[in-house]
Parts: sequence; structure tokens; C-alpha cells
Amino acid sequence: MNGPAPAPQPSAHLASGGASPALLEARSLTKRFGGVTALHNVSFDLRPGEIHALCGENGAGKSTLIKTLSGLHPHGSYEGEIRLDGVEARFRSLADADRAGLAVIYQELALVESMTVAENIFLGRERRHGPWIDWARTHRDAATLLAKFQIDIHPETPVNTLGVGQKQLVEIVKALSKEARLLILDEPTAALAGAETGILLRILRELRAQGVSIIYISHKLNEVMSISDRITVLRDGASVATMATAETDIPSIIRHMVGRKIEDLYPRTRTLTPGKEMLRVEHLTVAPKAHAPACLHDISFSVRAGEVLGIGGLMGAGRSELLLHLFGAWGHRTSGTVVLQGLPHPSPTPATSIQRGLVMVTDDRKRFGLHLDLPIGTNLSLSSLHNVTRGGRLDPVAEEQINQKFHAALQIKSPGLWARAGSLSGGNQQKIVLGKALMTAPQIVFLDEPTRGIDVGAKLDVYQLINRLTAEGKAVVLVSSELPELMGMSDRIIMLHAGAVGGVFARTPFNQEELLAAAMGQR
Amino acid sequence: MTTTAPATSAPGSPAPAMTGSPLRALTMPAMLLGIWVLFALLSPQFLSARNLSMLMIELSATATLAVGVLLVLLPGHTDLSVGAGAGLTGGIASVLVFQHGWPAPAALALSFVCGVVLWSLMGLFIVRNRIQAFIITLGGMLAFKGAFWLVIRSATVPVARGGESNLYAAITTYYLPAWAGWSLVAAVVALLSLLTLQGRRRRTAVGAALEPLEMAILRLMVIAQALALVVLVCSDYRGLPLAFVILCLVATVVHILTRHTPFGRYLYAIGSNEEAAVVSGIPVQKVVITAFTLLGGIVAIAGFMSTAYAGASTTTVGDLMELDAIAACVIGGTSLKGGRGTVLGALFGALIMASLLNGMTLLAVPPELKMIVRGLVLAVAVWMDVRLGSAQ
Repeated sequence: MNGPAPAPQPSAHLASGGASPALLEARSLTKRFGGVTALHNVSFDLRPGEIHALCGENGAGKSTLIKTLSGLHPHGSYEGEIRLDGVEARFRSLADADRAGLAVIYQELALVESMTVAENIFLGRERRHGPWIDWARTHRDAATLLAKFQIDIHPETPVNTLGVGQKQLVEIVKALSKEARLLILDEPTAALAGAETGILLRILRELRAQGVSIIYISHKLNEVMSISDRITVLRDGASVATMATAETDIPSIIRHMVGRKIEDLYPRTRTLTPGKEMLRVEHLTVAPKAHAPACLHDISFSVRAGEVLGIGGLMGAGRSELLLHLFGAWGHRTSGTVVLQGLPHPSPTPATSIQRGLVMVTDDRKRFGLHLDLPIGTNLSLSSLHNVTRGGRLDPVAEEQINQKFHAALQIKSPGLWARAGSLSGGNQQKIVLGKALMTAPQIVFLDEPTRGIDVGAKLDVYQLINRLTAEGKAVVLVSSELPELMGMSDRIIMLHAGAVGGVFARTPFNQEELLAAAMGQR
Repeated sequence: MTTTAPATSAPGSPAPAMTGSPLRALTMPAMLLGIWVLFALLSPQFLSARNLSMLMIELSATATLAVGVLLVLLPGHTDLSVGAGAGLTGGIASVLVFQHGWPAPAALALSFVCGVVLWSLMGLFIVRNRIQAFIITLGGMLAFKGAFWLVIRSATVPVARGGESNLYAAITTYYLPAWAGWSLVAAVVALLSLLTLQGRRRRTAVGAALEPLEMAILRLMVIAQALALVVLVCSDYRGLPLAFVILCLVATVVHILTRHTPFGRYLYAIGSNEEAAVVSGIPVQKVVITAFTLLGGIVAIAGFMSTAYAGASTTTVGDLMELDAIAACVIGGTSLKGGRGTVLGALFGALIMASLLNGMTLLAVPPELKMIVRGLVLAVAVWMDVRLGSAQ
């Protein structure tokens, strides 16, 4: 580690055409939760018509900062001052901030699944005709808004039929329909595929041109570089640096974020010879349920001990479905065989898979990975309770010990094992999910987007973990939508296209164009 | 700064997420105390040994049922049929004893098996077909009520043949003599001390964090004093009611199941996030069916208690008991969404409900008003729980 953090240099006026007065300004914000200081003397400013990116590792204080700015942590619960248009703003709630023209789009979507796009956009501000809802106007206004941003979704589409990316776009349109002049986006592209990200970034640029100010939080630094005007980096609750995007580059952002230089983003150490075959899949065809048309077709591959098999493909290519099916949590097998450690694995359930040494870390950790309102300890040991049960009774001492061991080994930052899993940052939550999986002492580990939405430092920890697993002779199957990650960490790669194998690539160096061509089915 | 320091502060203390905050934990005792003080001031008889003994017996059936219902509330299900089921199981046993001349133990055993089978079938049906427990048990409530009336032919069937006494009647009429009560207390305290000592030795051996010895001793003493107080009060009347001992047994078993076994842990995990529970390798279906099966047995026990207390199976036995049981759980901090609740909380909730009913009966409050007061107390208790919960 190097010396003390660089001194905060808030709102350093840079050579961007003089000092336009700040639209939103935070002056030495300090926010404490009990004994934990989440924000320490943070200063931040947002100019009119600017896209200001907020970067930092998980737990650096980004979420706390936007929650404080947007009134979720009400005035009086923090120290310091928030000024809007040069006047102190004392938001008591999100609604206050909303009225002041500030809209926040959180990572978790807040749409009502059973309603249509138009209903969602105007939820709470229904277009009325007397006491009745004016449906004609609702649909017309929604269509106008969608057209304005060139989003090709029909306003009467039920939201539950949309993909994640489309939902994200609807969410953004909803915020814009309130004519917000200040937009805060928290990891908006975490779940988006390339094309949708493109649409989103285009919309943001248009908004900027119209004078809307935007605070943009993302772990995807190339996005940050391409869209933002300025970048503020938070670390350990303090604002470490504010830089003009044009005058900086990704390595220096990362350096500010982690406080150290990252030599290699994908530190894969490869074992020379893979060991015995751990999992073999032959001509696997799977349908979502019995008597439905198949959506995985004739897939064959095998994984060996000490090897990382990467699985890539576009959204909807069937990557997650394939892993979930082999793990026993999805689909109906119409044909094909699966051999797990030399024995057939005909109709798996998660319980039997775990018993046989196959474990999975799913991509949606809040939905499938964690019990957010239960303590960290309970989450960690949940899949391994049989190991700490003596004569039918849980042994609290043994359980606490093994939990402590994994808590320390994975470097989970938390107040203690008793803390609620939901109170931790994304990276630490992901470490809990990984810890739960590894505690079962697996031989084969499925990782579905294990670094989604987590910061650079936590990503490195995950990569090191993959290295450790393969060094111990375990097999890893890695699904990722980030090609650099897939190429950097995999020993072999299978690209899926429309539920079938689009191409198999052995050994490095991988060629990005070839992989993409396979994902598009052009091979 | 966050640290990775081990939880030195409170080893072995219950996880806050499962029990709620300390402030929350104090609302129920405070509420109970308030109710007791109020009734004691209004009616001198309320704190008499006789009335408290009666209160314990009245409490037993509802509290037993509440502890059972907790088992299905924790994984996020519910059960509206337990009241009708209590009537039915009590009725089956009564008919076998009174009309067919079966010995009481055999009649009770068969009826118990009926409860277990019916509830395991209901559980199976709910889980396999993914139908909400609310609907299935609503159907169960109607069907069991009808079956109950068929079994007793809508008549009154005593639990014992004229003038005789049997095990069935004894459930609510037998009192353990003072010496038995005291030996029971001594045995329980000795066992708890032994377990505490063993646990501490284990922790020392492996170098895990220990709570201060004074805390452990203090806790044991509080438990011992509470138990002694109960026996002392009871010995001023006829002794320790058998029904109360049965309640304690059932509550202890469910407490151990929920807090000290993987099964119990799974109940919380399923209620908290069922999809994550499946992916974690928890046999969700099996766990839920087991919970319903256990509930079936407990329903039968509660049915025997309430029928024995009434002295006979009549068409109204078990009426609204399901709501009392659910209310007791909810007052005791159980979440109807699942994932949160404790046996101790459910017992407190049941005691609050039973005390209200008992006190108002002593004061000759008209039944119309009694219902309204109970409803209001339920609403207020949940409101306070929510308020204190969101204040955290």
C-alpha cells in the first residue's frame, strides 16, 4: 500500500470555460450510521448541463451520497449542507427532492410488473379526466415520450413481458416524464446488453444537450470515460479526487479508487495440464418446461479439474439457463446426458447437485443468492448446516467458527456475523454468496456473472478466488457478458448463440472478433 | 470504519434479524404488564391463585396452537383451518370414548394420527400444486368444520362417560402436586445449568468468544425464579395444571426445532427468500410439508385441550381459535410474510390475548365488547411493532 490518500480536492474549477454556478452542491457532508462513518466530509458539485460520474469501490460511499442528496437520508440525519441553485435544500423525503426536480433511478427496478408501460410511466400522476383515468391521453403521452427518445416499445405492453434492459429504459422515461432537471442514475447499465447501453448513453447525451444535469454511477469505466464531463472518485467515504474526464484516463481513475496501482486486471494463473474430467455434457436439449419448445439445443462440452471454462454469448443466448439447468434449478431435459464426476446426473435438484460437489453462484444475488434480512452468518452456513449438526442439533460453536473462517478468508467488510446481509455493499454481498457456495466444499463451481455490479477491488478478489479454486484442482465454469473478463480468466471458451453452441475456442490468445462472430452465429 | 472483528460482543445471542430489535422485544412484556396491572387494580380476584391457575389452563390451548401455527408462518405460509381442526380432532376422540367405549389413550392416539395425516396431506397439496395456503386451509376450515359436525352429529359428546374420569378429561382437570412441580423445576434448572456449563466448556476448548459468567448465571437465575414463581402460585390452589405442562413441552420442542436444528433454520430461510433457499440446496418442499405435519399433531393436542376444557365436544369448540393463534403470533412479532418470529414471542402474544379475555370475563364485560377490545389490541400491537421496526 502507498501512503495516505491524496487530499480531497472538491470542486476544483477546471479549465472548462469558467465557473458556471453549481446546480447542486454538497458541502462537507458527513453521514454516520451508528459508529460507522459512511461519508466523511464529502464535497461535490454538479453544474447545469453536466454529466458528472461518481466512481468508487463498493462501500466507498457512492450509494450513501446519492441517498443523502436525494432526501432518502432526510435533512438532520447528516452533517454538512446540500445546496440547490445556491440555496440550502432541506429534503425530508424523496418526495421533497422529487418536487425540486431531482429524480433518482436506482439499480433495483421500481416498476409494477403487472401494469403496462404507460401505466407505469404515469403511476401516481395519472392522466385524468375528472375522477376517471384518461386512457387515451395516458397512452398518447407515453407514446410521445417513448418516441422522443427513440425507444421502440409500445406503451400498452405489459412490463412483465419486457427484458431487463427495456425495463431500465422505461424506468428512465418515467423519471424524465416528471421533467426532472437533475437525474441520478445508479449503475443503470449493470443489466444492459451492448445495444441497450448504446441507447441509454445516447439518451443521456441528448438530455445533457437540453440542459439536464446528470449524476452517473457506474463500475464500467469505459462508459464513464465516454459519457462524463467530470469524474469524482470516492474512497472509504471521502471524496478523493474530482477530475475533468478529458484530462484523465482509466488507470489513474482505478488508482484513485483502490489507492494502489493495478498491474493486471485479469490475473489468471494457469495450470499447465488440466486434470481428470469433472463434468461432461452430451447433446443436451432442454425446454423451459415439459411439452414446451426447447430453448437449449444439442449442447456438448466437458470441464476438467483445474480448468476455467468460459461461457459467453449475447443476452438471451441461454448461458444462465444452461448453468441453472445443470445445477437443477431450471428447465425440463428432453434429451442428452450429463455425467458429473464419472456418474450420471439425470434429474438434478440444487440439493442433490450440492451433495455431489456441484455448486452455483447465480447472477441475481438479491433474488437467488441471499437472504437479505437474515444475518451474514446464517447466510454463509445455510448450504452447509449438515456439517455443523451434531445428533440433529445445530452446534452453535462449530457454526460460528466456520463462519468466522470464511468471513475472514473472503475479507468480507462488515460489523460482524450478526449483521444483516442486506446492510452490506454489493461486493461484500457477493462475497457472502461465494462464501456460502465454497463452504459446501465443491469440486465444480458455476459462476454466473460473478463480478456484475461490484467494484474493481472486489473483482480482483473474485479472480484470485478463481485462481485458488483451480489451483486446488477444482473446475470452474464462468459465465460473463464482459468479453475482456471472459478472455482474461478462461482457459477455454464456448460461445452460445440462440441456445446452441456457436463456437468453441481453446487456449489463449483468444480473438475478440472471432468470439463475437460466434456469439452472433456467424461461424 | 467497518472492521472484520469477530462478534466478541454477544456470542450465542440470538440473531437480531430473527428476533427483532431490543426495543421491539420490550413492547410485549410492557404491554402484558400494563394489562395485568390494570386488571389487578379493577378486580382483586385477578391475581388470586385460583384465577391465575384458570388463566394458565385457558392459555394452554391457544398458546399451544399459536406455537404450532408459528411453524407454518415462519416459511411464509398460513393456516386458517387449525380452529376447525382442533374441534374435529377433539370430536373424534370424544366420540370414540363416549359412544364406542374406547379407552381414552387409544382414542387420543388415533385422533392424533388423524391430525398428522390430514395436515401432511394439506401440506403436500399446497406445496406440490403451488396453491396458496390461505386458500387450501380456508377450504380445510370449512371441510373440517363440516366433518366435525358429522362426527358428533351436531350434538354434545362428553369427553368421559358419566361421572367417570379418564386421561382425556384429566388434561384440563389434573393438577401436578406441589412436590412434583418443585422437582420438575429443579430438573429443568439443573438441565439448563448443565447445558450452559457444557457450552461454555466447549467454547473455551475451541477458543470461541464467551459471554461473561455473570450473564449466564443471571439468566439461569431469572429462569429459575420465573419457574419457581409459577409453581408457588399454583401450589396455593391445586397445583401445576397438566395442560400447562403440556404447553411447556410443546413449546420447548418447537423452540428447539426452530432455533437449534437445520430444519428450523430452513423455515426462516424459506420465509425470508424462497428462491434463494431453493438455490442454496434446501429441500423446500420437504421442509414445508414437515412443518404442516408437525402442526397437525399440535392441532390435535390443542383440540384435546380445548375440548377437555369445555368438558364435551359441542359444535362451537374451536371457533375462531385459528384467528386467536395467528393473532398471538403476530402480537409476538411474527411476520405474516415469513422469516421472522419466535416461540417466546408467540407465547407472550397468547398470554396477552388470554389475559385480556380472562380479565374482562372477571369484570363481567359483555361479550360484544370483549370481541371489540381484542380486535383493537391486535391492531395496536401490530401497529406498535411496525412503528418500532421502522424506527430502527
